Amino acid sequence: MSRTETPAERHVRESVRPEKPFARFRWTVTVVVLGVFLWSTLTVDAAWGRLLQAPERAWTFLVLVIENASLAPLLIALEDMWISVAIAWIATIIGVVLSFPLIFLAAYNLVPRWIVQPVRQVLNVFRAIPEIALAIAFVPFFGLDPVTAALAMGISSIGTLGKLSAEIVEDIDRGPLEAVEASGGGWLSKVRWGVLPQAMPEIAAFWLYRFEINVRVSAVLGVIGMGGIGTFVQEAMRFNDYERIGLGLVVVVVVTILIDTVSSALRRRLIAGVPVSVDAKRQQIPDGTSSP
Amino acid sequence: MTTPASSQQAPARGARPRKPPPTPFAIGGMIGLVAFTLVTAWDWTFGIGFNPLEIPGEFRDSNPQMVEGLFNITDAEWRAEYAARLSAAFIDPESPLLISFDSRIGRGLLETIHIAVIATILGSAISLPLCIANSKVGAPNPVARVVIKLLNNANRAIPDIIWASVFVVLVSVGALPGILALTMFTIGVVVKLTSDTVDGIDMGPVEAAHAVGASHPNAMRVAVVPQVLPAYAAFSLYAFELNLRGAVILGFVGAGGIGEAFNYYWSRLEFEGVSVVVFVFLVVVIAIERISIGVRRRLI
Repeated sequence: MSRTETPAERHVRESVRPEKPFARFRWTVTVVVLGVFLWSTLTVDAAWGRLLQAPERAWTFLVLVIENASLAPLLIALEDMWISVAIAWIATIIGVVLSFPLIFLAAYNLVPRWIVQPVRQVLNVFRAIPEIALAIAFVPFFGLDPVTAALAMGISSIGTLGKLSAEIVEDIDRGPLEAVEASGGGWLSKVRWGVLPQAMPEIAAFWLYRFEINVRVSAVLGVIGMGGIGTFVQEAMRFNDYERIGLGLVVVVVVTILIDTVSSALRRRLIAGVPVSVDAKRQQIPDGTSSP
Repeated sequence: MTTPASSQQAPARGARPRKPPPTPFAIGGMIGLVAFTLVTAWDWTFGIGFNPLEIPGEFRDSNPQMVEGLFNITDAEWRAEYAARLSAAFIDPESPLLISFDSRIGRGLLETIHIAVIATILGSAISLPLCIANSKVGAPNPVARVVIKLLNNANRAIPDIIWASVFVVLVSVGALPGILALTMFTIGVVVKLTSDTVDGIDMGPVEAAHAVGASHPNAMRVAVVPQVLPAYAAFSLYAFELNLRGAVILGFVGAGGIGEAFNYYWSRLEFEGVSVVVFVFLVVVIAIERISIGVRRRLI
C-alpha cells in the first residue's frame, strides 16, 4: 500500500525549475553586435600584425621619454595649458550667455508648446554640429586662432547647455510659480522669482561641468593648430621631441585632473548649498514671528 | 479678529524678514568669476584676446578665397557647381567627380564607422570586468579599486586625439592607432559611468548567491551583471556616439578615417573638398545620434 504524498513532498515535486524562456531580444542583440564586430574587424584595413610590435615599441618610447625627461620646457607647456583652459573658459562663457535666454523658452512649464518645439529644434541643431565642423567654418573669418576655437566651442555648447538646463527648469516645484501668478506677477517675474531661485544651483553646476568637458575639447582643437596644449603635444610628436612629448602629456593629465577635482567640489557645494544650523536659521527670523 | 489698532501695535508680524547678507562663498565666487574671465579674455600674454566687439570687423576682413570654397556664398555660379559636386559625391555614379570625391570620402567614411564600431565593442568588453573590480561589491580589497580609479582618471584626462598621436608613434599610421585610441577612450567613459551604477545595485541577490555557495566570480556573474546590464549597454551606446564624433578627427594625426580625406583637402587648400567632407560627416553623425537615442530609450 502506497503512502499518500505529504504537502511538503508535493511542493518539492512541483517546484521543478521552470524551463528558461527563449530570450529573443538578447539573442538578436548578441548576434547583431558580434556580426557587426566581425564584419568591421575583417574589412577594416588595420594591419593587425603591427599590434605584436606594439609592446616593444611602447617600451622604446617610454625609455626615450624617461631618458629625455627634463623640466626645461615646463614653463612653455604650462603657458600652453593655460591657453587651453582660457579657451575652454571663454567658450563656456559664450555658451552660457547665448543659451541662458533660450532655457526659459524651451521649458514646457513656462511657455506654450508652439514656442518650445521650434526652440528645442534649434538647440538640437547646435547639439548635432560637432565643434570641429564649426571651428573649420570659422577659420576663414578668424584664422587658426584660440579665438576661433573659443567661438566654435561656445556656439556648439549652446545646444547641450540649453537643452539640459531646460530639463532642470521643467523639474522644478510648481508651488512658487503659482504663488507668483496668484500675486499678479508677469512672465518675467515668474522666471525671476519662481524659477531662478529653484533651478539656478543645478544650472550653474551644469555650466561648470560643461567647462570640464570644454577643457578636453580645447586640447583636441589644439591638435588642428588652434593653439594651446594640443598644438604643443602635436608639434612635439611631429618632430619626435621626446622631452616635450613626455612633459606635455604629464601636464595635460595633472592639470585636467586638478580642474576636475576643484570643479566637482564646487559643483557639490553649489547643489548642497550653505550648511545652515538650526540656531542660525532661528536668529534670522524677526522676533514677531518666532513665538506663536 | 484683528482691529486696525492692534495691527499697528505689532508691526513686526507681517514685516518682510531681513534678507540674509551674501555668504563669503558667493562674494568670493563672483569676484573670482569676473577676474578669471577678464584675465582669460584680455589681449595679453596670458589671455587669448577675445573681444566681442571685434567680431563684425573680423567678418569683414575674412579670407575671400576660403569663404568661397567653404560656403560658396559669394557667387551663384559657384553655388550651382557646389550642389552638382555634392550630388555627384552621393547620387550620380557616372560622374567623373565621383572618383575624386567618393573614393576618398566614401572610403574614409566607412573606415570611420569601422573604427568607432571596433573600438566601442572592444572597449566595452574590457570595461565590464574593470567596472566590477572598481566597486566595493566586486573588490572588497581597496587596493584594486584605488589603482583602477587612478589609472582611469589619468586615461580620461588625455583627449582621444592625443592618445591617437601616441599610438601613431607606437604602431605607425593607419586605422589601428585610431582603434586603439578610441578603445582607451571607451574604457574611460564606460568604466567611469558604469562603476557608479555598480555601487548602487541591490545587494540582496549578491548575498543570496554567496549564501548558496557561489564563488566570487560566479556571484558577480549571476547577481551583479544582470542588474547593471541595461545601464552598461546604454553607456556603451553613448560611448559609440562619442567615438563616432571622435573618429572623424583622428585622421588629422594619421590615425585613419574620414579625417584623412579632410586632411588631404585641407592641406591642398581645396576648400570645396573640405566642405563636402564636413557635410557628409554632419549627416552621418546626426543620423547615428538619432538611431542611438532610439535604442537607448528602449534599453532603459
